[in-house]
Amino acid sequence: MAVESSHEGSGCGGVKRTEVGTQVFRVRGLTKVYGHGETAVRALSGVDLDLYAGELVVLLGPSGSGKTTLLNNIGGLDVPTSGELWFHDLDLTNATEEELTRYRRDRVGFVFQFYNLIPSLTARENVALITEIARDPMPAEEALEMVNLGGRLDHFPAQMSGGEQQRVAIARAIAKRPEVLLCDEPTGALDVRTGIAVLEAIERINRELGTLTVIITHNAVMAEMADRVIHLSDGRVHHIHVNSTRAPVSSLNW
Amino acid sequence: MISLLDIKVWRDLVRIKGQAGAVALVMACGVAMLVMARSLINSLETTRLEYYQTHHFADVFVQLKRAPMQLRERLMEIAGVAAVEAGLVFQVTIDLAGLDEPASGQARSVPDTGEPGLNRLYLRKGRWLSASGRHEVLVGEAFAEANQLEPGDQITILLNGRRQALKIVGIVLSPEFIFESRPGTALPDNRTYGIFWMRYTELASAFDMDGAFNFAALALSPGSNDRPVIAEVDRLLVAYGGRGAFGRGDHPSHIRVSDEIRVLTALSIGFPAVFLTVSALMSHAVLLRLVNLQREQIAILKAFGFGDVEIAWHYFKFALVITLAGITIGTVGGMVLGRWLVVLYHVFFRFPSLEFQLDAGALVMAVVVSAGAAVAGVFGAVRRAACLPPAEAMRPEPPTEYRPALVERTGIGRWLSHTFRIAVRNIERRPMQAVFTVAGLALATGILIIPSCFRDGVDHVMEFQWDVVQRQDLSVGLVEPGDKRVCNVFAQLPGVLHVEPFRAAFVRLSNGNRHRQLAIRGIPGGTLHDRVIDARYRQVVLPKGGLVFSAKLAEVLGARVGDQILVEALEGKRTVSFVPLVALAEDFSGVAAYMDMESLNRILLEGDVVTGATFSIDKAHWAEFLGSLKQVPRVSWVAIKNSLRESFRRTTARSIDLIQRIYMTFAIVVAFGVVYNNARISLAERARELATLRVVGFSRGEVGSILLTELVLLALPSVPFGLLLGTLFSTVIIGMVNTETVRLPLILTSHNYAFASLVVAAGSLVSAMVVLQKLKHLDLIAVLRAPE
Ligand SMILES: Nc1ncnc2c1ncn2[C@@H]1O[C@H](COP(=O)(O)OP(=O)(O)OP(=O)(O)O)[C@@H](O)[C@H]1O
Ligand SMILES: [Mg+2]
Repeated sequence: MAVESSHEGSGCGGVKRTEVGTQVFRVRGLTKVYGHGETAVRALSGVDLDLYAGELVVLLGPSGSGKTTLLNNIGGLDVPTSGELWFHDLDLTNATEEELTRYRRDRVGFVFQFYNLIPSLTARENVALITEIARDPMPAEEALEMVNLGGRLDHFPAQMSGGEQQRVAIARAIAKRPEVLLCDEPTGALDVRTGIAVLEAIERINRELGTLTVIITHNAVMAEMADRVIHLSDGRVHHIHVNSTRAPVSSLNW
Repeated sequence: MISLLDIKVWRDLVRIKGQAGAVALVMACGVAMLVMARSLINSLETTRLEYYQTHHFADVFVQLKRAPMQLRERLMEIAGVAAVEAGLVFQVTIDLAGLDEPASGQARSVPDTGEPGLNRLYLRKGRWLSASGRHEVLVGEAFAEANQLEPGDQITILLNGRRQALKIVGIVLSPEFIFESRPGTALPDNRTYGIFWMRYTELASAFDMDGAFNFAALALSPGSNDRPVIAEVDRLLVAYGGRGAFGRGDHPSHIRVSDEIRVLTALSIGFPAVFLTVSALMSHAVLLRLVNLQREQIAILKAFGFGDVEIAWHYFKFALVITLAGITIGTVGGMVLGRWLVVLYHVFFRFPSLEFQLDAGALVMAVVVSAGAAVAGVFGAVRRAACLPPAEAMRPEPPTEYRPALVERTGIGRWLSHTFRIAVRNIERRPMQAVFTVAGLALATGILIIPSCFRDGVDHVMEFQWDVVQRQDLSVGLVEPGDKRVCNVFAQLPGVLHVEPFRAAFVRLSNGNRHRQLAIRGIPGGTLHDRVIDARYRQVVLPKGGLVFSAKLAEVLGARVGDQILVEALEGKRTVSFVPLVALAEDFSGVAAYMDMESLNRILLEGDVVTGATFSIDKAHWAEFLGSLKQVPRVSWVAIKNSLRESFRRTTARSIDLIQRIYMTFAIVVAFGVVYNNARISLAERARELATLRVVGFSRGEVGSILLTELVLLALPSVPFGLLLGTLFSTVIIGMVNTETVRLPLILTSHNYAFASLVVAAGSLVSAMVVLQKLKHLDLIAVLRAPE
């Protein structure tokens, strides 16, 4: 594993790198095998990784390199085949279904490429749905305000654009004040301008709430907004790149 | 060659096997019912026809007092008559060694030489009577079986007051007694009533009837009508005490079988119609969902050049495979059940052999009707698939227009939980689907009402007949009408608490040009035993000089209270008089007419004559009473209520019970099928949404509660509709089933309603549990990928 430091793009308007916080995730030798025998697919083969509180991490890598698999394991959607995966002192590799549900409910916010909103609920209700079951949520209106959707509270998903829907999804993810925000290609289905609006929302959350944020993307330009960029290939961490300053989202050009 | 599209049909079907299976099963129930009922009809009809032909069942029957044998020739000469069989028939009592109560029956003659020309017997066991036939007797199978009589056994019959020991030489069947029961009773009591055949000379000498006959059966030449023949026979026999001839249409055994066929016909239409409607609704739901989920696939197929027809055909194939499965299971099931029921029919109907005969027509009908139902069911979905423009289908489902549900707009929305809102809005967004589901559940509930309604109806009739109408413990018939003072003799028997005489008089009733021959029952005023009850369950006090009809008889004669009915006595002085119809009785046993005994005797111009008596007996002296009753020579028959009830419980009730159980099983299958299917569809349609909820931290139970809420919201309104539907079905089917011999009241109890609702509720619960189990396997990761 190679760790490199970069100062490029740290020029004008750069944001100071987040102070390294306490360790949140500890990943060692994480392996995930799908299927068995002839058809077995090794999605992850020995990932070693630490993630810290408050940082914004971008996950890059070719298609099939295991990004989604890694994120799903971290988010408690899937359990590893072997290796260690710790969230603070919660052992995610050996957690029960109930523990995983509780973990997802209280600690993790998810944002997906296809929004996955509940079509029968309005923006406000989609967020409130989560705040109802969370321990220390912010009001749904406040969460939507954070993603600049204060004016669309009572619209149904079908009445909103893709970008707006994705921002509702972000509001839904952060309304519970999660410790971790996991985003799998959040801009994958969006055009550039809309994508930027979404990223700005994520970045703002990370900055203002100090949420550990992991973003999967295919767009290398987005790496500039991260504290650290983790490159995956063939189910392994190929190298980690540390940005000395984070570029503001508005300055990204792709 | 199997095309790839066919492989797709197969794989998709395997994926939705639960739902496809549920639809096929419901369809199978309908088909089984259809195949079973139509095949039984076929079996009964063809077997009866064959039996009638091979055993020369007569067309016209008549009883008379006494006519010389020479009169036979005169009967032969009537235009349209092909053959005449004249003989003797007498009511007799039987003393059976093993039987406490006196049994009774008919002794009938067979010619001294050769076989009877008409109504030939079928020898089941033993041998025919010897040439002289001295002290030999043939016994009808039902009685022999009920009393375990075998050839070689002895029985004692009271012939004209003389006890005669007879040797049973054979056990036989007769086309006249396919249904072997005491005339005028709807229920068989084969233990205490039997049919016996003896040589003519033997019987004639016992009753001093040498060279005479009191019974004739006539066969018509092909193509002749029985009406003019009956009229001519009646005219000819008036002088000989003819009691009015009747055709097959009034022959008790014949109409009993015809009634059964009518009942089966009603069932073969009613039940399958409901079941196939449900399965049509279900296939519609399953296919619509499939088409919705496969929008993109359809678009791609179209983009690659498949035509609308090919797409439509492709989706029709789903329905066809399901239908084929349903028909196969249903046919096999119907045949198995049919064979089973045929065995049961042996209890009621005595044929030389009653085999189950599959009705090929029923199979064709089943295929056509169920395929029709399936096609009708899926038509909308398939058309939708075929009409989907490729470009539109490529896009994910069009923005689904959700809005706050009606209940929320009324203002109570604030108190609704989010999961409740999801459920409510989903239902409201697809109103048609919700309607179909409610309809399916309502039908399932409705189907459950019918079998119980039948059972309750039968129970009610029995209770009514035995506890409300007939208060006596037993009835006794005299050999001949006798003086009222016979009751004094009866009252002296040990254990008798109360005796009442009655007078049965054989008459022809006419209202306009409608006629009916039956025995009017004359009952003494202030009777405690034989009560006549009206529709409001009050005892009808028989008015002097007026007739009371059972509702069915009034219907048959088209008579209304106030009408003058022509009463022609077919015995005694053969008086003719007009008597007003003054009231109607609630009588479930069929056609019946009642009169005050004195008034009846007055119009018959006979003194205080009785033909029998009813008894209340002190139970402590029961055996003693029966023993001494056997010694009274003038008694021709005895009907013991408890024995009848017991026999009913052992035979009829048990088979009715079995049939109810079959229907009930089917109904439960439907109820479960509908609920399960519905729950699976909502799960499949909503997998993405539900998985998302799981991902963001909802527990399995919380996600399940959304599905449950939806199910409950649909199940609740279906209950009242279902009860309403069930009431409707029951009314229609019981109406179709009601015949002259069988009249079932429409009894709908809260117990029945509660049971139907509970079964559907339980079905819903179990299906919901099964579906909730599936939530365990919800793929949380797959759902995050692009929509299917
Ligand atoms: N459920 C599964 N069953 C079998 N193989 C799987 C499954 N999920 C993922 N894989 C395989 O695991 C490997 C990693 O998949 P993953 O989705 O993590 O890649 P990715 O880096 O997210 O790719 P992309 O950038 O295309 O989204 C791939 O080879 C994939 O085929
Ligand atoms: Mg991926």
